[in-house]
Amino acid sequence: MSASPNLSHPQRTASPPRLHRLRRELFASPLDGLITIALVASLAAAATGFLHWATTQARWAVIQANSNLFAIGRYPIEQQWRLWLLVTLLAAATGLSWGLLRAWPRADRRGSAWPPNDTIAAALLTAISFYVPLALHAQAGIQMRWWAITALLLLVRAAAGRWGPLVPRQLRPLLALLWPVLYLIGMVLISGGLGLMPVPPAEWGGLLLTLVEASFAILLCFPLGVLLALGRRSALPLLRWGSVVYIEFIRGAPLITLLFLGQNILGFLLPGGLAPDRVWRAAWVLTFFAAAYVAEAVRSGLAALPPGQLEAARSLGLNLPQSLMHVVLPQALRVALPATVGQFITLLQDTTLLSLIGLLDLLGVARTVMANPAFLGRNAEVYLVLAILFWCCCAALGLGSRALEHRLNPNTVALNTSAHKA
Amino acid sequence: MTTPLMIEARGVEKWYPNGFQALRGADLSVHQGEVVVIMGPSGSGKSTFIRTFNGLEDFQKGSIVVDGITLSDDVRQIDAIRREVGMVFQQFNLFPHLTVLENVALAPVLVRRRPKAEVQQQALELLDRVGIQHQAHKYPGQLSGGQQQRVAIARSLCMEPRIMLFDEPTSALDPEMVQEVLAVMQELARDGMTMVVVSHEVRFARQVASRVALMADGQVVEVAPPEQFFTAPGHERSRQFLSQIG
Repeated sequence: MSASPNLSHPQRTASPPRLHRLRRELFASPLDGLITIALVASLAAAATGFLHWATTQARWAVIQANSNLFAIGRYPIEQQWRLWLLVTLLAAATGLSWGLLRAWPRADRRGSAWPPNDTIAAALLTAISFYVPLALHAQAGIQMRWWAITALLLLVRAAAGRWGPLVPRQLRPLLALLWPVLYLIGMVLISGGLGLMPVPPAEWGGLLLTLVEASFAILLCFPLGVLLALGRRSALPLLRWGSVVYIEFIRGAPLITLLFLGQNILGFLLPGGLAPDRVWRAAWVLTFFAAAYVAEAVRSGLAALPPGQLEAARSLGLNLPQSLMHVVLPQALRVALPATVGQFITLLQDTTLLSLIGLLDLLGVARTVMANPAFLGRNAEVYLVLAILFWCCCAALGLGSRALEHRLNPNTVALNTSAHKA
Repeated sequence: MTTPLMIEARGVEKWYPNGFQALRGADLSVHQGEVVVIMGPSGSGKSTFIRTFNGLEDFQKGSIVVDGITLSDDVRQIDAIRREVGMVFQQFNLFPHLTVLENVALAPVLVRRRPKAEVQQQALELLDRVGIQHQAHKYPGQLSGGQQQRVAIARSLCMEPRIMLFDEPTSALDPEMVQEVLAVMQELARDGMTMVVVSHEVRFARQVASRVALMADGQVVEVAPPEQFFTAPGHERSRQFLSQIG
């Protein structure tokens, strides 16, 4: 059988070209075919084994009975409406940002208000929000809330995509303020104050605590890391050597020792009130730790920049801060973005170490659940759910980073427009 | 000469940190409205010399006065000089993350604190003048080398400098693009801009230069009007150089 007519006229063949390409790639030679079959067989065996375990042997009651604990730890029940409000706000803000991102394509690019990928994302989101509360045997009221929140997200997304272009250009930079403001509102909702009943950090737990610690450290370690990277390249010897010593000291120490150290000495080092308890001390240690790694990522971005860029900026009369803000950092941070987000993802996973200093983060909660005699031997179920939760958070970070990278990169312009024409 | 002195460099000596002496007492005076083309073999210190004029390179001995301001270590003095002196580089050094228009309009808004709309209007006029009017919203990476260099010239001009420095502006260009950049520079010279140009373009030097300076071994060995420099060079090194470039 000859394949050449199919290759030259793929549209005339009986088998679709994609199937044909698959056959060419997977069964090019007898050996290739053998490897393909062996791999498919072992994958199928593993998948069947897993499905068999998940449906017949695994006992998911350990997750169903403790879903609240995994989500928010021992957060007081009568105050949980604050977290529902926060999730609702987050969903609305996500929908708004998502829709406006599509509605305001960059001046030099053509964009579609609802590209095919968004349909897939919306369908996936709907399926998850429909299925997960059902699988967890959540109460009807709670199921309804999740569905309503998902519907809100998608509705806001659609509305923002539809009417976003009508927003005047001058108001658009305000979107950048949305998330910092929301973060502050979220912290107030979680911890109380301003008329809300205070909920001490010791009562936060599970995914809530993990996300609070990680987001706090991610938000603060970034500016700190940029300053350290600039300090490392500074002409002032004291600043330069101070940055080098700090970065190398932090990078030379395991996080867990710094976490224990921080619990003991941070109370003396930071001004009173900044690290009042173990949760905030741990958050500061994570921040200071990640900043050293972010600094190295940013330094690689700075090193990738041709020296002519700074020379051109200075020759035009820009002073050093102006040159950094408008010429050097926008380019260096774009180059450093993938490595920096990689650092954020590591940071998120490093929060599991908090369980070792006695905090009830996701892993800490999991350990208490597994220690419960009622759920003895259910470790596999618990760890699997933990892995999925972390994977979802990290995937979200990665997706956001890639979208940002694409938007900031002037070199994708040609590619992008040709892709839309095709 | 009766026109005022714009650049006066006296006995400039520079050592690089590795101990290499790039400038060994270089002198040059440039009067208002003059176009001085600096030529010389590679490694003679031409680029280093022109880069000392706006403080991109420091120097250890000698003195440089630009537009009445003495160059020193004082950062404010250097910034003051840079506001009045435009510089065009061999590698263009456009900002790749900004559009052509943003490249041109950035410095006047930030440094001179002029209204953005007004600066953008002026930037469009300058782009028109260098023949890039239809590419204002493209990014530098989408332009040819010759177009990028013309944008770089417009970017410097938007600061309304009193002096323009050109550091080998056509050396990184494909041959067919050299002429479009030289034409812009020639027009600039006709309008009376004070210019110092490091270049190997003999035709440009013959047609546009007020005077040609020859550098060798970190010194300016001869300064002469072009017709004299190219037909009857006074210095042995000039004769040597001219015979090498044919």
